[in-house]
Amino acid sequence: MNAEEKRGAPLHPSDEELVLSSLEPDQLAEAKKQRIPRRSLRKSELLVLWFLRVYLLFMIVVVVYQAWSGTH
Amino acid sequence: MNLFANLKTRGTLVITHEDIDRAHDRARVLAARSRGNWFSRFRLLWLLIGPGILVMLGENDGPSMLAYAATGAKFGIGFFLPFIVLTFVMAIVVQEMTVRLGAATQRGHAELIFERFGPFWGWFSMIDLGIGNFLTLITEFIAIRAGLGFFGVPPWAAVLAALALLYTALMTHRYWTWERITLAIAAFNLVFIPVALLTHPDWHSVGHAFASWQPLPRMDQDTLLIVLADIGATVTPWMLFFQQSATVDKGMTRRDVSFGRVDTALGAALAAAAALATVIATTPLFTHHMSAEHFQAAEFAQALRPLIGNIGASLFALGMVEAGMVACVTISLSSAYAFGEVAARPHSLNLPVRQGKAFYSVVFLLAVLAALIVLIPGLPLVYVVLVVNVIAVLAMPPALAFLFLLANDRELMGDVVSPTWANVLAAAVVLFLIAAGVMFGISVIAPHLFAAAPR
Repeated sequence: MNAEEKRGAPLHPSDEELVLSSLEPDQLAEAKKQRIPRRSLRKSELLVLWFLRVYLLFMIVVVVYQAWSGTH
Repeated sequence: MNLFANLKTRGTLVITHEDIDRAHDRARVLAARSRGNWFSRFRLLWLLIGPGILVMLGENDGPSMLAYAATGAKFGIGFFLPFIVLTFVMAIVVQEMTVRLGAATQRGHAELIFERFGPFWGWFSMIDLGIGNFLTLITEFIAIRAGLGFFGVPPWAAVLAALALLYTALMTHRYWTWERITLAIAAFNLVFIPVALLTHPDWHSVGHAFASWQPLPRMDQDTLLIVLADIGATVTPWMLFFQQSATVDKGMTRRDVSFGRVDTALGAALAAAAALATVIATTPLFTHHMSAEHFQAAEFAQALRPLIGNIGASLFALGMVEAGMVACVTISLSSAYAFGEVAARPHSLNLPVRQGKAFYSVVFLLAVLAALIVLIPGLPLVYVVLVVNVIAVLAMPPALAFLFLLANDRELMGDVVSPTWANVLAAAVVLFLIAAGVMFGISVIAPHLFAAAPR
């Protein structure tokens, strides 16, 4: 198996050995570039997420109102 | 089944500088684990602690310590002591999930939301995080400026010193070194304990407060603001993103989850001790009927000086500086990790500057911008601090919903999927946060409903 350092500098063989013996395959920086498959949200989950989104927006308006009334 | 079990790089194996640094750290963990005696168990704990303690002590930041100081000065010893402990229990419940997620997926929180649920929900989370983090970062510089102001340091010199320390901590280019330096600085958060002891607390009242949650405060808008500020001082969205990313950057795996839990609980215990000490430290202001409504960090220290002396007041001000400094580092990093994950750029503290230009640039640009804002004359700094904690509480339920969904995703989590007890506790935390937010909203819209409540 060939190994190369991303920067282009040659890797020491002991580094390769160390990496392969100490890290799990999914811990390699290169492996983390693999995409995770999308999961579609259920209707009930979407409902909760939208409820919380509306809750947050409403409460932000309340905080802005409170800040405005506090400074006036 | 774990999605990553069969993941292997095909053809040429690419090993980066980041991998080599992480492998060195992991080799020490594996060596300690292989021995199996008591000393090795302690060594393993020493090697694996970090993200949990940092996130908890990091959240004992400028606005948080100010919220605790205001709590003590306004309400003294009573209901808020056990209440603060409860908020830290909530923090453990929430943060434990991020340890499992990071260890199981080796991905950061932002990346998981984007990839698993798509960019629509991903951007919502990022906007919440970005706005919250930036506002909080401003408040950290407010704390640093105010704390150093106590010693006569001009504001420009205070923010410059903070930026220099941030630069020094990050330029180690090594997660392990950065973590240990930041842990050492974060330990200074415990300086509030000797300050509390200098006030000669009434331990009988402290014991009574924990046993009975009494005396109860009057239910009005000011009390609810403090309730929300104290919750926001303990559970906030940036903590989720930071601890998960730090867990991955440290290289923790499924086998390390139990140590991650200990790390989180230990961090919560230390942070709770500092928080309670701050409330106790400012209680003399309550007993001497000194109004601390619009106090900043340095003003608390000045007000305490006649009661606890110069050394105590100086320690209090230094504690505020530390609180702002550590959070400045952790919050900037939380934003930079999230940016790197979403923009698919390298994001690790093991990166040399050349490979991690974007990552390090985000950390510094955000910090410099926040520092400049703090230097604007006439800015209502106290108000910014209070509003930031409230916004953090309000933004938490939507963030927790994603965390809940991810931690229950069997395909991602495999054997570390959330057990029922964790789900029950997490649901209780979400309901509690929503209830607190709604109560605050009602107190703003219809203050008369609370003003008439008996004491």
